[in-house]
Amino acid sequence: MADPAESQSQPSARLGIKSDRFSGLLLFLLALYIGWLNRKFPVGTLADPGPGYVPLLLAVALGGIGLLVIAFGGSSQPLRNIKWPEATRAVIILVACSVAAFALERIGYRLTIMALLVFFIGIIERRHPLAVVLVSAGFSLASYYVIGELLHVPLPLGPWGF
Amino acid sequence: MLETFNSLMAGFAVAFQPEILMYAFAGCIIGTLVGMMPGLGPLAGISLLLPATFGLNPIIAIVLLAGVYYGAMYGGSTTSILMRIPGEAASVMTCVDGYEMTKNGRAGPALAIAAIGSFFAGTVGVIGLMLLAPTLASFALRFGPPEYTALLLMGLFVLAYMSGGSMLKTLAMAVLGLLLGMIGIDAMSGYTRFSFDIIELGDGVGIVPVAVGLFGISEILLTAGQAEPPQVQKPKLRELIPSKEEFKLSAGPIMRGSLLGFMIGIIPGSAHIISSFVSYGIERRMSKHPERFGNGAIEGVAGPESANNAAATGAFVPMLALGIPTSPVTAVMIAAIMVHGISPGPLLIQEQPDLFWGFVASMYVGNVVLLVLNLPMVGLFVNLLRIPYAYLYPCILAFCVLGVYSVANSVIDVWIMLAMGGIGYALRKFGFDLAPVALGLVLGPMLELSLRQSLALSGGTYSIFLERPIAVTMFVLGLILLAVALKPLIFKSKDWRSNVGLDDHVG
Repeated sequence: MADPAESQSQPSARLGIKSDRFSGLLLFLLALYIGWLNRKFPVGTLADPGPGYVPLLLAVALGGIGLLVIAFGGSSQPLRNIKWPEATRAVIILVACSVAAFALERIGYRLTIMALLVFFIGIIERRHPLAVVLVSAGFSLASYYVIGELLHVPLPLGPWGF
Repeated sequence: MLETFNSLMAGFAVAFQPEILMYAFAGCIIGTLVGMMPGLGPLAGISLLLPATFGLNPIIAIVLLAGVYYGAMYGGSTTSILMRIPGEAASVMTCVDGYEMTKNGRAGPALAIAAIGSFFAGTVGVIGLMLLAPTLASFALRFGPPEYTALLLMGLFVLAYMSGGSMLKTLAMAVLGLLLGMIGIDAMSGYTRFSFDIIELGDGVGIVPVAVGLFGISEILLTAGQAEPPQVQKPKLRELIPSKEEFKLSAGPIMRGSLLGFMIGIIPGSAHIISSFVSYGIERRMSKHPERFGNGAIEGVAGPESANNAAATGAFVPMLALGIPTSPVTAVMIAAIMVHGISPGPLLIQEQPDLFWGFVASMYVGNVVLLVLNLPMVGLFVNLLRIPYAYLYPCILAFCVLGVYSVANSVIDVWIMLAMGGIGYALRKFGFDLAPVALGLVLGPMLELSLRQSLALSGGTYSIFLERPIAVTMFVLGLILLAVALKPLIFKSKDWRSNVGLDDHVG
C-alpha cells in the first residue's frame, strides 16, 4: 500500500479514485450479478432451504463486504498509481495458451505443446533457432513419454495419430 | 500412549517398504526442484503432480505429494538464501537475513541452519500430529451438521483474522471462493447452478485448475519478461558447517519457531506464511541485539524456516482428523485422497490406519531424506537457477496445461485455469490474497450442506446453533476474533500485523 500521507500530498492523486474503492465497487457489482443469476433457483424456506438459499446469502455477504471495502478504502493508493508494465506480455501469454487449449484435442498434445514453445521461445523471446527446436521438441516428446507412456495418463492424439 | 507408539511402529513398517521409500525420496527431490523455480510453489507443484498419482495406491500417492510439499518448502529457502528470490511466499522472511549472510560469505551455514531447523521443526510437527490428530478425530465423532457449520464459519473468521493483509479483502476472497463452490449440481435438489449451459461445469469447478491458475499462471503473468537471472553462489560441502556460536544462537529460535509454527499451522489461513513472519518478529523482539536483524542474523533464518516447516505439518492435523482443509495445499491433498474413494475425516484413522500412520511415518522419513540428501546436493540443485527464465517460463506454462488437462481430460479445466490466471493476476495487482479463494472453493459445498441440514434438523430456526454447546463455543470464539480484527478497522489503531512486519492496512 502507498503511504497515505504521500498520496494525499499529490494533487493528481487526490482527484483519482482509490484502488480499494474501485475493487470494492467491482465486488459489489459482482454480487449484484450473482444475485440476478440466482433468481432462477428457488430459495425455499428456512425449514427446507432451496438451491438458491446459500448462494443468495453469499451474494449478500459479498455485496456487504464490497460496500465496507469502499467505505474503508479511502487510505489506499490511487487507482492510477497501479502500474501494468507487464500487461501486454500477460495478454500475449493468455491468448497463446487459449489457442493451445483450443488446439489440444484437435491436433494432439505433442504438436500443440511444440507449437506453444516455439511461439514463446522463438518468437516472443527470440532465442537461437537450434535452442528453440531442441527445447520445444525435447520438452513435448519427453513429457509425453513420461506422463503419457510411463505414468499411463491419457493425453490427446492428433488426427495423424501423433 | 502405548497404542499410539504401536500404531506408529506399524506406520514405519509401511513407510520403510522400498516402494514407499522410493516415492518419498522422489517426492522430496521433485519438491525441492519445484520450490526453487519461480512461479511454482508447493501448491502448483502438488496440483501438477496430482494426475500422476491417480494410478498409484492411496498411501503412495499421499506420501509422494507430502514429499513434494516438504521439498518445495526446502527449495524455497535455498533460493531465498542464495539469490534473495523466495521460491514460495513462506520464504520471504528468510531472504532478509539469509541473503545478507550469503553476501557476508556465510551462505553455507545459513543453508545448514535452515535445513537443521526444518528437520527439527518437521520432527516436532510429526510428533504433534501423531498425538493431536487421533484425539481431535475421536472428539469430532460428536459433531453433527450444526457443529460442522460452526467449525467452518469459525475457520473463515480465523482466516480473516490471521490473514497477512487486509481483513475485509481476505473475507471478500473467501466469499468469492465459496461462491465458486456453488457452481454445479446441487447435491440436495439436483438443480444445476451457475453452469452457463456448459455440461462439464455440472460437476463443479475443480480445485486443481483454480489453484494452478491463481498461483502458477498469475505468477508467470507477473514475472514473464523479467531480466536474466543473477549469478548464483555455489557453496561447497565443507563450507556448510555452522560455527559453535551460530549453533548456539540458532537453538532457541529453532525451538520457538517449531512450537509456534505448529500451533499456527493448525488454524486456517496461509499458516506457513504467517508463521514465518510472526517468528521473525518474535526473534527480533527477543534479541539482545535487534540491530543485527536485516544484516545477516542467523536467528532470522533459523526461526522463520523452522516455523514455516512446523506449520506445514500442523496443517495436516485438521485435514486428517476433521477432513477440513485449512490451506489450499491440504485442499488439493484431500482431492488426491478422495480420488481413491477415501474420505478424510474423524473415521479415517480407524478405517484406514495404514494410510494415516504410514503417512505420519513417511513424513518423518521425508524430513530425514531432505536433511541428508538435499544439503550435500545443494550445489547441484542450484544449477536449475542458471536456466534463463526465457526458457523456464514457457516450460512451466506447458506443464500447467499438461497437469490441469490430465486431471479430468477436460479442456474446460484448461480454460478455467487460464481465466483464474487472468483474474488472479488482476487481484494481485489490487493487493488481494488469493489463498482464501482456493480454500473457499473446497469449503463451499461442505458449508452449504451442513447449513441446510442444520436448518432442516431444527425445523427452520437458527437457534439450533445456540442450543449445541460445541457449536455455540465455536461461534463465540469466531465472533470474538472477528470483533478483535474489526477493532483496528473502526478505531484506526495498529493490529498484530504491524508488530510482525506484515501490512498493517486492514481496511
